Amino acid sequence: MKSLRRDFSSDPHTANVTSKVFVRSTKSGKVQKIVRELYLRQDIPCSSRLCTICPAVAPEDANVAPFVLSEQPAGTAAFPRGHYIVPDTNALLNGMDLFEHTGAFYDVIILQTVLEELKNQSLPLYNRLLALIKTDEKRFYLFFNEFRLETHVKRGQDESINDRNDRAVRTVAKWYTEHLRAVTKSKKEKSIPTIVVITDDKENLRKAKEENVTALSLENYVSGLEDADKLLDMINESREARHAKETSGELFYPEYYSMSKMMTGLRAGNLHQGVFNVSPYNYLEGSIKVAAFDRPLIIMGRHNSNRAISGDVVVIEVLPKVQWKSPSTKIVEEEIVTKNDNPDADDNEAVVTEREQRALQEEVRQAHGKNLEGRPQPTAKVVGIVKRNWRQYVGTVDSSSTGSQATGRRQQNVFVLPMDKKVPKIRVRTRQAADLLGQRILVTIDAWNRDSRYPTGHFIRSLGELETKGAETEALLLEWDVQYKPFPKSVLDCLPKEGHDWRVPVSKDDKGWNGRRDLRDLLICSIDPPGCQDIDDALHARPLPNGNFEVGVHIADVSHFVKPNNAMDLEASIRGTTVYLVDKRIDMLPHLLGTDLCSLKPYVERYAFSVLWEMTPNAEVVSSDFTKSVIRSREAFSYEQAQLRIDDPSKTDDLTQSMRTLLQLSKILRQKRMDAGALNLASPEVRIEADNDEVGDPLADVKTKAMLATNSLVEEFMLHANITVAAKIYSTFPQTAMLRRHATPPPQNFEELINQLTKKRDMRLDVSSSGALANSLDRCTDSDNPFFNTLVRILATRCMTSAEYFCAGAHAESEFRHYGLASPIYTHFTSPIRRYADLLVHRQLSAAINYEGEDGRATIEGSITRNRLEDICRNINYRHRNAQYAGRASIEYYVGQALKARGEKLAADGVDSGIEEDGYVMRVFENGVVVFVPRFGIEGVVRLEDFVLPGDSTNRSVAERRELVTRRESDFDPEEYTLKVAEKGHESSDRTMCVELFQRVRVNVSSVKEEAGRGVGKRRVRILILNGK
Amino acid sequence: MAAQRQASSASQIPHISPAELSYLYTSLSLPGNPIRPDGRSPTQFRPLSAETDILLGTNGSARVGFADGTQAIVGVKAEVERTPLGIEALSQAEQEEYAAESNKKDTGSNGDGIKRGSSSGQGSWVQMAIEIPGFRDDDALPVFLAEMMREPLVESVSAGGEGGMVGGLKGRLVINRRWHWRLYIDVLLLSQPLSYPLPLLSLTTHLALLSTKLPKLKSKGEEDPFFDDDWNAAEYLYPRVKSTSTKRSSIPGSLSVHKVRPPVTLLVISVAENIIFDPNREEIAVADAVLAISVTNNTDSDGLKLLSIRTIDPPSRLTQPGVPNSENVATLGSTAAAEESVIVNPSTGEEEVLGVWRPRRGGIKRMTIAKMVKMVLEKGGVGEEVLEGLEGVEVG
Repeated sequence: MKSLRRDFSSDPHTANVTSKVFVRSTKSGKVQKIVRELYLRQDIPCSSRLCTICPAVAPEDANVAPFVLSEQPAGTAAFPRGHYIVPDTNALLNGMDLFEHTGAFYDVIILQTVLEELKNQSLPLYNRLLALIKTDEKRFYLFFNEFRLETHVKRGQDESINDRNDRAVRTVAKWYTEHLRAVTKSKKEKSIPTIVVITDDKENLRKAKEENVTALSLENYVSGLEDADKLLDMINESREARHAKETSGELFYPEYYSMSKMMTGLRAGNLHQGVFNVSPYNYLEGSIKVAAFDRPLIIMGRHNSNRAISGDVVVIEVLPKVQWKSPSTKIVEEEIVTKNDNPDADDNEAVVTEREQRALQEEVRQAHGKNLEGRPQPTAKVVGIVKRNWRQYVGTVDSSSTGSQATGRRQQNVFVLPMDKKVPKIRVRTRQAADLLGQRILVTIDAWNRDSRYPTGHFIRSLGELETKGAETEALLLEWDVQYKPFPKSVLDCLPKEGHDWRVPVSKDDKGWNGRRDLRDLLICSIDPPGCQDIDDALHARPLPNGNFEVGVHIADVSHFVKPNNAMDLEASIRGTTVYLVDKRIDMLPHLLGTDLCSLKPYVERYAFSVLWEMTPNAEVVSSDFTKSVIRSREAFSYEQAQLRIDDPSKTDDLTQSMRTLLQLSKILRQKRMDAGALNLASPEVRIEADNDEVGDPLADVKTKAMLATNSLVEEFMLHANITVAAKIYSTFPQTAMLRRHATPPPQNFEELINQLTKKRDMRLDVSSSGALANSLDRCTDSDNPFFNTLVRILATRCMTSAEYFCAGAHAESEFRHYGLASPIYTHFTSPIRRYADLLVHRQLSAAINYEGEDGRATIEGSITRNRLEDICRNINYRHRNAQYAGRASIEYYVGQALKARGEKLAADGVDSGIEEDGYVMRVFENGVVVFVPRFGIEGVVRLEDFVLPGDSTNRSVAERRELVTRRESDFDPEEYTLKVAEKGHESSDRTMCVELFQRVRVNVSSVKEEAGRGVGKRRVRILILNGK
Repeated sequence: MAAQRQASSASQIPHISPAELSYLYTSLSLPGNPIRPDGRSPTQFRPLSAETDILLGTNGSARVGFADGTQAIVGVKAEVERTPLGIEALSQAEQEEYAAESNKKDTGSNGDGIKRGSSSGQGSWVQMAIEIPGFRDDDALPVFLAEMMREPLVESVSAGGEGGMVGGLKGRLVINRRWHWRLYIDVLLLSQPLSYPLPLLSLTTHLALLSTKLPKLKSKGEEDPFFDDDWNAAEYLYPRVKSTSTKRSSIPGSLSVHKVRPPVTLLVISVAENIIFDPNREEIAVADAVLAISVTNNTDSDGLKLLSIRTIDPPSRLTQPGVPNSENVATLGSTAAAEESVIVNPSTGEEEVLGVWRPRRGGIKRMTIAKMVKMVLEKGGVGEEVLEGLEGVEVG
């Protein structure tokens, strides 16, 4: 029998067509063989400015970026003619921070092969690389080598994917060398830059040598650069660890389950997936909320948390019932427990140090001694990681870990203590330990292997001296992932060309007036906090002939200036929100728009988006109308100014009258909202008026927020506008409307608080509905303790979930409810300058009212796919939360600094005695309490040594106080939420103090610096309790 | 056409006159040395061209074209499917116990795992669909052909050992107790069915199955299956072993051979005393008996194993009979009639007039069947030759 195979060799087209074959497993369990055809081309440019051929050949229709690789790339000692860098995937994995460094690594050719491989291995690094490619300064070029005929590499028989990719890298290097030589034939040979492959793969280096390709390991390459010491520190640590540790036998942590085992378990419901959270008071205790259970599961101890770091998505297994425990009642801080760890010693490391062991035993004893209420809670252990959410961490080098040889340039291991207490200390190898002491530094975690007790990471850069304003502000922004870099040029290019000279067109025939109503005659004014520059909203009210009122809310028309999907829009969608710090504002939109063109400044004409209602004097809405408009604000008031004007009976002009009408109506609206069950929540906020001078008390700037009637005037109408708009866009976009909801908190969230209130004050909290809760909160008062009600409100707020943006299609209509505002539907419409959600809602509303815009495209611009919207929601929810945290952290820092400044001033007179204030006990632990100080809006842990017992002196240094701890003993009653502190051996005497939950205590607040031991130089706000019961 | 479609018989009846039929029959029945219309020897196959892996999107595929212009392509696709009534019935403890057990035995060959699940392999996991131009997919011919090819495929069972397949194809499809592969074999005849398409389709299917690969399993034991995403790492459905015997080295480029191969179904006809392989349309039209014989190679010995024999309704039954001169009114009484002698056909035992076509009535002697089977199975016989020839095509 004869058989023949068709012969393709004569077909000239076969060389251009090739295919890529792989197996894809879908979520539903399907396994598919996927074949992608590749059509190879020869017109993909090399992007070198030296090249004379590529610019001519490169396709014009495609958006070929301008050629980026410099004609005179930087040279090094080894490559005096200059060089282009071609890194392989591992080089990027190990040295991404180096590639981002501004001192080196210019003219880099990133292969498509490498980019794709990186995407599979690490999504965050992939995104960082993409960002690098996008910036012009670093001259990174993404070369589509797989699509170019000469550089496409077919996988050989029995060749592993890695080998093939390595070969692809070498092929590109060879091609570039030849290509550049060919195109620069006429020029001097000297001018051709060397193509340097960077790879850490030994086999690849060897083959490169054989094939005459210049290749270096990352370390070798970096060693040849200036500033090598600093740069070498930035190489990923896990790489070295991998090689060095293979032999060492001791493993501290259990192995993770295999991916397939986890998937099987998850599907079968035996394992659960969730986000790992570490308790802010006890770093050894974590909790995980999983879909299967109402309450979070507890993860106790290092061994069970098994290398998970707060924020990681992990898979857990529930532990047997005998290992269930109740949550700890003790404050455990890593810094104090693991004081004496040695970063170099791996040998005698146990996962649980003896001290930790003791701390755990204590907890077990506690759990076992519990009665009904403290029933042991289900505990779980981490068996695998689905997704690491490691980021860059801001921290300080632990001075006690640097060892004696602090001066040498030798590489040594040090511990970095992250600012975030939930993150364990990170072992970092560095050559500059001595220089880094006392600095805020940025580090990243590379790996956490089974044989290492702490994660290993590497140094990225220093932010500056501790406690300097610049370093601390940047640290804060980095910790909360706020995008604070200046707007890139591509974003600024999207601004109107006229700049500050932009005006509303005079002629009504101008296309800018298309679909806009002329509302310039209305007496509109804005009311904002003093000094506000980005004025989002303005209001007006006027009587109608029929006795009703016309009320208008006018919002800055940001969507006119920010068109969808341009660079500015994308940047804004990433930033999500403007972040307000005490002395700094990180804008979502460029300055020009936020504070000028969009801002509804007084006396000038501005574009606006108006919501107009006809209301009866009883604030019943007769009709509502939405329109794009042009307005001219008559005045920009601060809350106080507006209040004064309203209260001044001598003013009877129309503007004042209209403000009075607004106030009147707002009061009715507010009452209606309260009747519907809206909550009056409280947050521990203080305001900093940052116009301080050197004279006077720095603490005078710290003010608790005052609530004026005019605050609530603006608030009521904004809420009302938001609700009206939400209903409108939902009716037009039932699937893709951008809405905001506040989920009804599950009643068990309140259990602890209800219990505490019942025990301590015999008060009941009804959490059956928001209305019931509002009423019962109103009843929680204490005549001796006017702040008590606020305290309960703060605690109740913490029991609730946070409000979130969502896409209408993502939830059933019944789930749209905003619990806190008691509104069935809600969105954000009124602050488009500082919130991206509002901008999207503006676009949706324009489409909903068939506004066509200047070019008739506004209707299309309003539509957005659900997937994209859900992505945006996820991001802005995250950004919004972080912005709040960053703002709070900023205030906290400011308060600390103000206390410090005050302390220093007083210290000049010889005494730093702190300042006495009222504080309230929020939580009671076995070895301390948490006290809230409303005056400064701060809460802090008070440990045993910080109780000033009768007869004890307040004026003791930190070190002295620390000595006290060994002489103190406590008696904690978890039933009654009381803590009795006594001097050892004096139990019966009067040298005792007893504090209980909700109690008002006198506290002494000061800013102190650790003087010895671990964390030297770390400043914290110390709270001393002066008197108890 | 309507009549053709309903024919479940071997093929459409060619429009051949009784005289031609008789002529053909006589030539083919020459004792010991039949003369075939295309001059082939009785065991000679028509030349064919074949290639595999022609459809990239499939797990395995092949194309075979006979010299007469008939062509077929076969694509094999595999899909992971949950086995009903699997592990859900087991408690968690049992699952773990099982997983631990299978982990322990992991050091052994993968045949171990297959053995456990082999009992649950099911024939219905292999689905075969045949498309023939001019036929609906529920017509008798495609359905019959599909079943005829599927049956030996799923029922063939072979021993284990290196390169073996415990439980045959069915056993190979078991992933673990809760999961299995489902195989879709799509057979497409590209040309008109000029001759009975069974041999063509069978050869093509055989080649396609040989080239079929399944993604490499990465999970272990009773876990939900999880596969290597590298297609190059995929494993052949019919495992290959490195060739050790020098005998095979004649095949160029062949480094690995199959110990277990999918069955091949051969079409064999008998004409009088003669056994003829790979018959063309005209030959079938005069056959006394048409047999589809499925064979596969036996892992234990070098010999072949008979899997199934099916008789196929010979189309000669439906042909027009010739009229002997003695009965012909036109020639009645002529002298020629006297020359006709009645003989007894040795294979059918019927009386016939030499040179006059009589449709076959079916029925076949045991002896003839035995001879046919022997010719297929014997060492160095037709079956071996075919399988060897196919091995030469495959690889690559």
